[in-house]
Amino acid sequence: MAGAENQSGRSRGGRDTDAIRQRLDALGGKLSTAQGRRPQPPEDEKGRGQAMGQALRLATELVAGVAVGGFIGWALDQLFGTAPFLMVAFLFLGGAAGIMNVVRTAKAMQGEPMPGHHLRNATDDDED
Amino acid sequence: MIGAAYAAEDAGHGDGHGGGGTGLPDPMHQFEIKRLIDLDAFGFDASFTNSALFMVIAAALITLFTMLAMRKGALVPGRLQSMAELSYEFVANMVRDNVGTAGMKYFPFIFTLFMFVLALNMLGMVPYSFTVTSHIIVTFALAAFIFIGVTIIGFWKHGIGFLKFFVPSGVPFVMLPLLVVIEVISYLTRPVSLSVRLFANMMAGHTMLKVFGSFVVALGLLGGWAALAFMVAFTGLELLVAFLQAYVFAILTCIYLNDALHMH
Repeated sequence: MAGAENQSGRSRGGRDTDAIRQRLDALGGKLSTAQGRRPQPPEDEKGRGQAMGQALRLATELVAGVAVGGFIGWALDQLFGTAPFLMVAFLFLGGAAGIMNVVRTAKAMQGEPMPGHHLRNATDDDED
Repeated sequence: MIGAAYAAEDAGHGDGHGGGGTGLPDPMHQFEIKRLIDLDAFGFDASFTNSALFMVIAAALITLFTMLAMRKGALVPGRLQSMAELSYEFVANMVRDNVGTAGMKYFPFIFTLFMFVLALNMLGMVPYSFTVTSHIIVTFALAAFIFIGVTIIGFWKHGIGFLKFFVPSGVPFVMLPLLVVIEVISYLTRPVSLSVRLFANMMAGHTMLKVFGSFVVALGLLGGWAALAFMVAFTGLELLVAFLQAYVFAILTCIYLNDALHMH
């Protein structure tokens, strides 16, 4: 249909071409508003995946601190024969190390810009 | 650890798929290590197992993919070449953002690591395949290699000054012994958290898939549809996790490398 109109417009000359150009502009405007609405979901989806990755990172950080601290304490206990004392002390130290790791990671997450931030237009603002 | 897996295999060989008397398949059966070719290297058990087979498949697939994709090396890339270029760009940007241009020297390693873990995770999603990354010994070997390598790079770049990495600045002198111990423990947790994260996610996910898969069969034509619908959604989630864990593994390697090169 568009092809036929285009042909007739070309054969009849300038007047119809103007009309077609007007329709094209209107269509372009509609298309851009539609596209403006569309990219929102993928961006949101990407952010959610990103957030999930960060959450998974934080969860193990804390547990690993306690586990490694406990293991070091246990190994030192075996070495020096000071039964449970070093293990208890190092469990707490390991807990402290784990919490420090979590705080450090969280700080780094807040500081670092979200991936793909440069792809966004300068005009649209962040909601939060 | 592997020895224990072999013992479990030998013990549970009789009932194979039928764990217990419930008729439901054993969800942990999929993680069993099977010897394919028996090898004995100077007293060490170096058998070629199903785990090793899938590592070889992953390495072969990656090599084949990159070589086939870049065979033409066209200026305007085709579909396959776009995929290869996209993965290159993805990892290159990751290294550049997290380590800086100084880290591009280590780009080949990060790229290999990311592609290898991604291929292993994705191969695990293929039915009847084996998920190599669901074994902590594999992920821990990868993480320990990274940890030792990064520590060597740190000492090589900064000499004995790398030890300052464990001394926090602006702290009262009395607190220093305690804080240095905590810093050292925090540094030693890196390979553990790195390996446990990948292994736990993969194993938990695949166990869940197996359990809900057996629910579909057990509930039959009447009730199985709910479990099946869940399975479809959960498979999608598992694909996301497979990618995400490879990404997290690679990005944490970048962060550790950055610490070694630039020290905070």
